[in-house]
Amino acid sequence: MEKERFEKVRKHVRSEAALEAGDVLNKIKDNFPDNPEGMNYFYDLLSRQFSEGILPKNGKKVIGTMCVQVPDELILAVDAIPIRVCSGSFPYDNAGAEFMPAKTCSMIKAIMGLFSVENYQKKFDMLVIPTTCDQKKKTTEMLTDMGYETYSLSLPSRKDNDNSRHYWQNSVKEFAADLMKKTGKKITTSNIKKAIDLKNNARYEFRRFFNLRKKSPSVIYGKDAFLVANAYFVDEVESWTSALKNLNDELEKRVNKNFSIVNQKTPRFLFTGSPPIFPNMKIPLLVEEAGGLIAVDEVCSSSRLLYDMPAYDEGALYDMIPAIADCYLKPCTCPCFVPNEERKDKLANLIDLFNIDGVIYQSFSGCQLYEMEQKLIGNFLMEKGIPMLYIESDYSKEDTGQLSTRIEAFIESIKIKKKSDLKGKRATK
Amino acid sequence: MKYFAGIDIGSTSIKIVITDEAEKIIAHSVNATGANFHKNSMAAFNSLLDKENIKRDDIVYIASTGYGRKLLKEADETISEITANAVGARKTVTGGKVKTVINIGGQDLKGISLDEDGNCGNFVMNDKCAAGTGRFLEMVARTLETEVGNLSNLHFSLKGVPAVINSTCTVFAESEIISLLANGHSHEGIVVGVHYSIAKRIARLIKRIGVEDIIFFDGGPAMNKGLVEAVENELMRELFIPEIPQITTAYGAALIAKEAYEEEAVHA
Repeated sequence: MEKERFEKVRKHVRSEAALEAGDVLNKIKDNFPDNPEGMNYFYDLLSRQFSEGILPKNGKKVIGTMCVQVPDELILAVDAIPIRVCSGSFPYDNAGAEFMPAKTCSMIKAIMGLFSVENYQKKFDMLVIPTTCDQKKKTTEMLTDMGYETYSLSLPSRKDNDNSRHYWQNSVKEFAADLMKKTGKKITTSNIKKAIDLKNNARYEFRRFFNLRKKSPSVIYGKDAFLVANAYFVDEVESWTSALKNLNDELEKRVNKNFSIVNQKTPRFLFTGSPPIFPNMKIPLLVEEAGGLIAVDEVCSSSRLLYDMPAYDEGALYDMIPAIADCYLKPCTCPCFVPNEERKDKLANLIDLFNIDGVIYQSFSGCQLYEMEQKLIGNFLMEKGIPMLYIESDYSKEDTGQLSTRIEAFIESIKIKKKSDLKGKRATK
Repeated sequence: MKYFAGIDIGSTSIKIVITDEAEKIIAHSVNATGANFHKNSMAAFNSLLDKENIKRDDIVYIASTGYGRKLLKEADETISEITANAVGARKTVTGGKVKTVINIGGQDLKGISLDEDGNCGNFVMNDKCAAGTGRFLEMVARTLETEVGNLSNLHFSLKGVPAVINSTCTVFAESEIISLLANGHSHEGIVVGVHYSIAKRIARLIKRIGVEDIIFFDGGPAMNKGLVEAVENELMRELFIPEIPQITTAYGAALIAKEAYEEEAVHA
């Protein structure tokens, strides 16, 4: 009886999740002109993720990861498949809300909903969760209690001293040892090097993508850029890399032909804060449907994902593994770090590089770290004279009406500012 | 003659303002929104034209704003109610610069701070719930079996101590009011309590953008003098209340319509 009920719930939540994903994808495709051909690969992949599921059927071990700090080179080295399980699905968020505290952030509720509704205990050989925020930390224990094999990857709160660096390097070494034990495969100089190269190829294309996005007026919408990065969560690295290469080649042609999807007057935004994860594209879509463009982002589901490469001097294990560890710690600007001054520097840098008119800061309700850091970032941007819109929201659609008014007003105020700046420029000429 | 129309389709009422080329209001109306946004907006628009003897062809540009702005296909331009409100307030006050705008609508509370040029610099808005909005006042009036228009009278006839309302949630406040009635509190005391609970909520909200003079207070609830007094006391500042508090946003939209019309004429 209980089993039957469980099966019913699963079917229901699955079909709702597939509906939501289809709905959002249609909006992403149909409400915008000039979608690049190269995006079709990513649209199809994400649509499949929700209609058929994307768990690989090739008999390889599957390691679920959360947050951006899990070094997937190690997982690739032991010939397993890393899948990032951070979820943006509202039906799973709802399922998680049944047993999670009311003020938990949507992403955590969606992850917990996913693993409680789906019987993934046998599908995932391990779930690796770094000790980033308190909610992620406790998730680990709850998942263990639900019968999952979990691994808590210990991350320091500081990253600006040698102690933290060595602590994290040791933490990553311990994780490597555990991976070898669980998978029965050894990490060797040659397979780790191969894994680094594999991921560096992905990083190379991602950086190319990043640079192509600097073109102003832009050649691609932010909503598509988020999807490209989101697809990396679930795709095999090689296929993802070659799909992005195709897209980059197409975008390069657009740049050469001087073809843009928007015009000179379109306000350019930097998106930061809690990560948009497909299908939760609520805020990016509201911004771009209202006539803004998300030129670049500073979030862990997109630009923080693949930018930094490990730097090692000697191709030996004792050098490569710490180098991998370093590239996941030092450049990371997650608000779980204290101090996190580097996030300000990074934002300032992106504002200059991408010719940014305003910042959109999203916090999931219940994500205290992003909510609190908002004040610090807001003050910093105010001093720089960059307007910021702060939005606290979650995966539900109920606040869409009010949010669209706020977003439109923000865009209008920037357009007015841009217009008078242009007039000023003309006057001084 | 060329005229410009601003149509503000709010959650409770449809406000229409028609201006001439000198940006003077020559006609205005306020009607209930009802359940059919588009039909009721057009009906209100046409009847205003009829009443004032204005030819439809003389209206050269329409800007729509408010919650239902996107439904009005007849509009030449849509603009968010935040921008329209700022523009309307800036133009309404002649003896100085408006720095802060407080607006209470049917389902939201807004605070807007204007920059040196009178443009919308920063703004805050309540998010999900209707606490402390026009709907909230309607609920209070209904629970006390009176009209919204009578709340101000009740406010000023209080003898004694006001009740304290702790809930700002519309649903919880209703049950709180019922239990206050059950405990023998006077209607007057409850109304004053409600006004102060809304005033406190407004003060908390707009302190996030900074409060500076001149403070402009508009929206339907600004007609309630009891509420105005409560907000003034909470902010410890005097408020500027426009003559017709409901139509500032529609007026702003009409001004934006004129600007857009003139810009198009330049490019044409």
